Amino acid sequence: MMHPDLSGRPADDETPDESDLAILDGVRELFQAADPMPASLPEQIRFWLALRDLEVEVARLCAEDDGRLLAARGTEQSRTITFDSDSLTIMIRVDANRDGSARIDGWLAPPQSRTIELRTMAETLTTDADDGGRFAFRRVPRGTAQLVARAGPDPDGPTVVAPALVL
Amino acid sequence: MESRESATAPAQPDRGARLEVLVDAARSGREDAIGQIVTELSPLLWQVARAAGSSTSDAEDVLQTVWLRLLTHLDAIHTSAALTAWLVTTTRREAWRVRGAGRRQVPVDQDGLAAVPDQRPGAEDLAVAADLRRELWEALGQLPPHCQELLRIVAFVPRPDYDVVAAQLGMPRGSIGPTRGRCLAKLRALLASSAEGNPDDASRPERQAGR
Repeated sequence: MMHPDLSGRPADDETPDESDLAILDGVRELFQAADPMPASLPEQIRFWLALRDLEVEVARLCAEDDGRLLAARGTEQSRTITFDSDSLTIMIRVDANRDGSARIDGWLAPPQSRTIELRTMAETLTTDADDGGRFAFRRVPRGTAQLVARAGPDPDGPTVVAPALVL
Repeated sequence: MESRESATAPAQPDRGARLEVLVDAARSGREDAIGQIVTELSPLLWQVARAAGSSTSDAEDVLQTVWLRLLTHLDAIHTSAALTAWLVTTTRREAWRVRGAGRRQVPVDQDGLAAVPDQRPGAEDLAVAADLRRELWEALGQLPPHCQELLRIVAFVPRPDYDVVAAQLGMPRGSIGPTRGRCLAKLRALLASSAEGNPDDASRPERQAGR
């Protein structure tokens, strides 16, 4: 079989026969059972792709620290996550509330006031970052969440969307 | 769930043709077409990212990034095989990049087991699994890591695209790298020896496991 889009290089082994295909079917079933993709993921991705037409800038996750390693700090669970886009850096610290929900403290760099959304599976939470770029969500349900920094009037930056994270 | 259905879809012979129609539609800007491709191929890319060592939460980020990037590459992709090969390659690279960025493998707020890349079925799964499944799992575990990754990925690839994807996965490692045929042969030999308890008395004598 030739595939002109690629190099056209044929596989250097023979086409799998029926017993090979049966084995591969078995391998697929094993991994579907052992390590299934979260059923909601395609839906999340489609949602994410639909955002792209809205003049958004996509931030990338660039660092994550597991605060549990810093036992001396006395907090039970804490991690910091940094997202980077061309115009904005978003750093958040995630702490655990006593009731099991999460608390998120965030900073925008460069410091600026913006409306910050946190999309969770259940609802979208909204808060405003102050002039120093600080914001907080005091109680966030556990699960998948996605940060969106809405376009700000000052400075006039695009909306920045961070990849979804699991709290 | 529909993702479950699509994950078993490699058996459908017309899948490749359908994907090509979807790619054409996506290129001409049809929003639902790209969405259908996402639903169709995300189960494959999930396995690619996990086989490359991504934690579960990393794998979700990796897939988001890859799909977003596909939108700017649609013009260069015309066949189902090219689409699958591009997605698999890009997912592996992105998974490596995220690992290289120093993220921890096991996220703090998640069930640790679920995030361990080299995951095995739980005790319960094993208890209910047929002996054949357990034998297959154990045989897989004895393969070299590159073969495990290759077969795990190829098992989820639409069949018409096997050759292109398997060749691409084998290529960077040169001519002595793992090819699908060689990895399958090793797996068959392991299965035969475990079925017979004796490697010399293979259950499928018509196949030469060494080839």
